[in-house]
Amino acid sequence: MNYAEPPDADILEFIAQDGCTDEQFDQLALRLFAYQYHANAPFRGFCQRRGATVRNVKSWRDIPAVPIDAFKAMELRCELPVSTERVFMTSGTTRADMRGRHFHPRLDVYDLSMTRNFAQRFMQGTERLSMGILFPDEIAMPNSSLAHYLALAKSAFGSDDSRYFMSPEGIDLEGLWLRLEQAERRGEPYALLGASYSFVHVIDALRQSDRSFRLPPGSRILDTGGYKGQSRELPLDAFYKALTDLLGVPRELCINMYGMTELSTQFYDNGNASVPSVKSGPHWIRSRLVDPATGRTVPDGERGILAHCDLGNFNSVSTILTEDVGEPAEGGFLLLGRAEGAQAKGCSLAVEEFLQSATS
Amino acid sequence: MSTVRVQAGYLPGLSSDEVQWQVLPFVQGDQRVEVSVPVLSPAQMGALAERVRRASVQHLKTLSVSEIISILDRAMARLLDRDDPYRMQADRLLPIVSGYDADMVRLGLTGFFKTFRAPQLHRFVVEDFANPKVLDAFQPAPKGGAVRAYGPQLLVHSWAGNVPALALWSFVCGLLVKAGNIGKLPSAEPLFAGWFARLLAEVHPPLANCFAVVWWRGAGDEGSDALYAQADTVLAYGGNDSLQAIQRRLPVTTRFLAHGHKLGFGVVSAATLDTLRAPAVARRAAWDVMRYDQQGCYSPQVFYVQRGGPVSPREFAGYLAGELANLQRRYPRRALDLAESTSLAKWRQSIDWQVTAPASESGLAGDHSVAGLIGDYAAAWSVAYTDDAQPLAPSALQRSILVAAIDDLSDAVSAVASRREFLQTAGIAATPEQLYHLAEQLGAVGVTRISAIGSMSMPEAGWHHDGRFNLLDLVRMTEIEQSAELAAEPFSSYET
Repeated sequence: MNYAEPPDADILEFIAQDGCTDEQFDQLALRLFAYQYHANAPFRGFCQRRGATVRNVKSWRDIPAVPIDAFKAMELRCELPVSTERVFMTSGTTRADMRGRHFHPRLDVYDLSMTRNFAQRFMQGTERLSMGILFPDEIAMPNSSLAHYLALAKSAFGSDDSRYFMSPEGIDLEGLWLRLEQAERRGEPYALLGASYSFVHVIDALRQSDRSFRLPPGSRILDTGGYKGQSRELPLDAFYKALTDLLGVPRELCINMYGMTELSTQFYDNGNASVPSVKSGPHWIRSRLVDPATGRTVPDGERGILAHCDLGNFNSVSTILTEDVGEPAEGGFLLLGRAEGAQAKGCSLAVEEFLQSATS
Repeated sequence: MSTVRVQAGYLPGLSSDEVQWQVLPFVQGDQRVEVSVPVLSPAQMGALAERVRRASVQHLKTLSVSEIISILDRAMARLLDRDDPYRMQADRLLPIVSGYDADMVRLGLTGFFKTFRAPQLHRFVVEDFANPKVLDAFQPAPKGGAVRAYGPQLLVHSWAGNVPALALWSFVCGLLVKAGNIGKLPSAEPLFAGWFARLLAEVHPPLANCFAVVWWRGAGDEGSDALYAQADTVLAYGGNDSLQAIQRRLPVTTRFLAHGHKLGFGVVSAATLDTLRAPAVARRAAWDVMRYDQQGCYSPQVFYVQRGGPVSPREFAGYLAGELANLQRRYPRRALDLAESTSLAKWRQSIDWQVTAPASESGLAGDHSVAGLIGDYAAAWSVAYTDDAQPLAPSALQRSILVAAIDDLSDAVSAVASRREFLQTAGIAATPEQLYHLAEQLGAVGVTRISAIGSMSMPEAGWHHDGRFNLLDLVRMTEIEQSAELAAEPFSSYET
């Protein structure tokens, strides 16, 4: 086996095919693991300390999941840096200098993964839609994977009149209202895409001015990323009810994307008629629920922390350990929010609280 | 699954159908305990406070301290008797509610209750009052005149549930100063305080109305406001956030005694690290880590170990890991929930990456470094070793401990000095000369309790929690000045 070369071509081919068997997934996952194990010294040390080697890792489930904190602590990459690489960074909710970085020497795998999946889960057979984007563009945020994702959505699936509704002052609400009115008048389906917190601002603005729209049939909404302290916290049910009430998009077509800077592939639900909705990904990503303290898969049916094995992550590490709590569900998993660090119960001190008090 | 239903709290004058109850479920393996905790209306809370205040004037403030100690001693004898129904109930249910190993709880409770027997309580009182009789009547003051100490009319406690039966400390303090006591049960261990109240009422029935044990959700509700409004003193345990939330609810005239989060640590001198004695020190250190899975404010989170002895700090860390592995077999760690597991994983990872990060720059895999985690990643304990003593920081608890090598014992002082507001207990293994020298330095930077390693998690009777006076802080002194005494003299019948 050739460990020196990344198995890019095979990954691209794998993503392009329709589905795969368990054996096929394992085969490519193990090849990618062998490559990353040899090309990435910190990852190799991480595996060795857990007793995982190329010899005894027999399935994607055996690949040690690297905690996302590692993307902050070090440069997790297999290829040497090049000037043309793209670096996606986490938003760094706590400390600005501690942002996770994901290095992409090329975006062909990322882009193919995104478009293949997006076409099926969001476009659902429609080739192009007029899109409004409630998020800054790639020039404003060159290190945001979401900015790239949305730019790609617009260029690959948006019709010519698609546009951004973000200005340095925030959402261009007047422009947005005009465009929504126009869509209503013309009876053409319209798609709104953006961060979840942007939609909260839209909801608040509509309520404040006592306005609402009835977007034509086929219109849809994609929200992602949660509120991140950028808006008030809205319970999921209230959030989607408000979107339906105020924009006229049925909850079945309000789709939530679950993605991470540390991944190259996204998960979607099939609308949010009921919440929490079941999330699932394409055939080139697999997930398991683990006990983070031991890294072992939790017993069937139990909650655990999500670990994803994403074959699109060819240059960093294929398998990451998130901080998101998941619960198994028919056809995918339920996302139950972030695993907050344990609160100390009494007069002992837990790490999280200590950090808070040390930074405040 | 077998389910046990228990009603918690202690509400004199209220029958259980008069109040609302909320069920707190606890599950360990196939055992389930459903604890019903009372939710009182503001009117009920107000009436309860009034009743407790009145009864304590009548039945508690009229007892002498010695009489109170004798009542507490009889209650403790019951709790120390393994065949007593109260003790059996505690041994059976507290492990399920807290998740701690049953043997660990049993041993812990016995050790704890022993510190509340009569001789220990007398010592406890004399620690704060050179003449304990000032709690009973006016006593001559050295400067002239006389002085008497009065406890609060209504002392409200907000208890913590990190360690079973922890409420006992402040409850007993309140009784020794003859306060009417109302305590709020912690949701994590909502049982013991109510049992203790019932037991006291059984041992000495006139006390039945002198205290109550209640509950409310989170920071409080209208019921808690009604109670806080009547308290003259409030004693609270918890994180700074929850303490602040309580403080905001109190009138400015209410005395507020807060015990916030603390970080414990140990210092091991090279003088104790010969091949014969180092394993024993490590064994005692492991007990301090094991007891209640480090949930106590006195539990160690870092051991600073001096280089230069026959046993190196890294070897000491190895012994410590071995002892923790042994203790895991005898007293297994409680099962962790996802949040706790996540915290533990994050702590381990942070050490993992510290090891890996510099090595990656030099092109090495980091496996040759001595620093890092010792032992199996899946083990229910974690020992991390570092060559480089960082400022004191919390471990992930749940038997996770950092061993940091130091050259000079005073390096430990430098490492903790910046954490003054979190300092409390330091465990020391050193020569007598080193002990006093180090104690001077540690005391100066904020440490309030120095114990042997192995006793960190077992404070002795009469200790000064957080360096404060447990009883003296609760009372108000009333002085008869000499002038009053002298001025009274001419009016006596025999002078005219």
